[in-house]
Amino acid sequence: MDEKELLINPVVNENVIHNQKSVTDIRSLTSSVLGVAAGILGLESLTGFAFYLAGSFFVSVLMLFLLAGGQPKSFFRGSTEIWTHEVFGTTSLSSYVLTWTLFYNLVRA
Amino acid sequence: MTVLSTSLLLTAALLLTHSCYSAHEHSSLSPTSAANPSTMPLDIQIETVIAALLALIGIVLSGGKDQLREIQQRVWMGRLEREKGAGPWSMLEERVGFLDIRERRREFGEWAKGGK
Repeated sequence: MDEKELLINPVVNENVIHNQKSVTDIRSLTSSVLGVAAGILGLESLTGFAFYLAGSFFVSVLMLFLLAGGQPKSFFRGSTEIWTHEVFGTTSLSSYVLTWTLFYNLVRA
Repeated sequence: MTVLSTSLLLTAALLLTHSCYSAHEHSSLSPTSAANPSTMPLDIQIETVIAALLALIGIVLSGGKDQLREIQQRVWMGRLEREKGAGPWSMLEERVGFLDIRERRREFGEWAKGGK
């Protein structure tokens, strides 16, 4: 976005940050739940990561239609942010692996 | 937390606990070896997946309407003025120093005398 565009259509910075924080919160919570499910299902190696990708895609679709109303442009600066933000971040992927391994071992103890 | 998301999360937690317990019972009761790994019964798998999906929907819905805010300034200000009655510049619109006290008094007088 160039400067002229920003002057014509100003952007509320607090809301950009707020939205990113919301997405980060949702991602970290949902990745823990996905990890629990993957551990109970007993997924191993690449299957588990494929499960995580599929689950994250489902969460993105949910956010797109339930929260953003199908219009991510009016809530995020970038058009792909709702799909990719924090998917491979430290709070989500590592908490997925944490709960995945934890529940895998709890169930098969 | 809306009622819908809370009930979804409660249902999901119940299903997830039950499927976790079932999976644990299955793995502890069925004899397995490295050569003959036991597969999880299909009903437990389905229950786990359904519980996870319900939990995901519940989590996404749990923030309510305020989860995402419009970033376009004109849209956001319009929403603030419509819902809260004032944007961040409300002090510019209501300035007590410019209050026309005589006009107010005349209006009150008419109202008190029974006019409209």
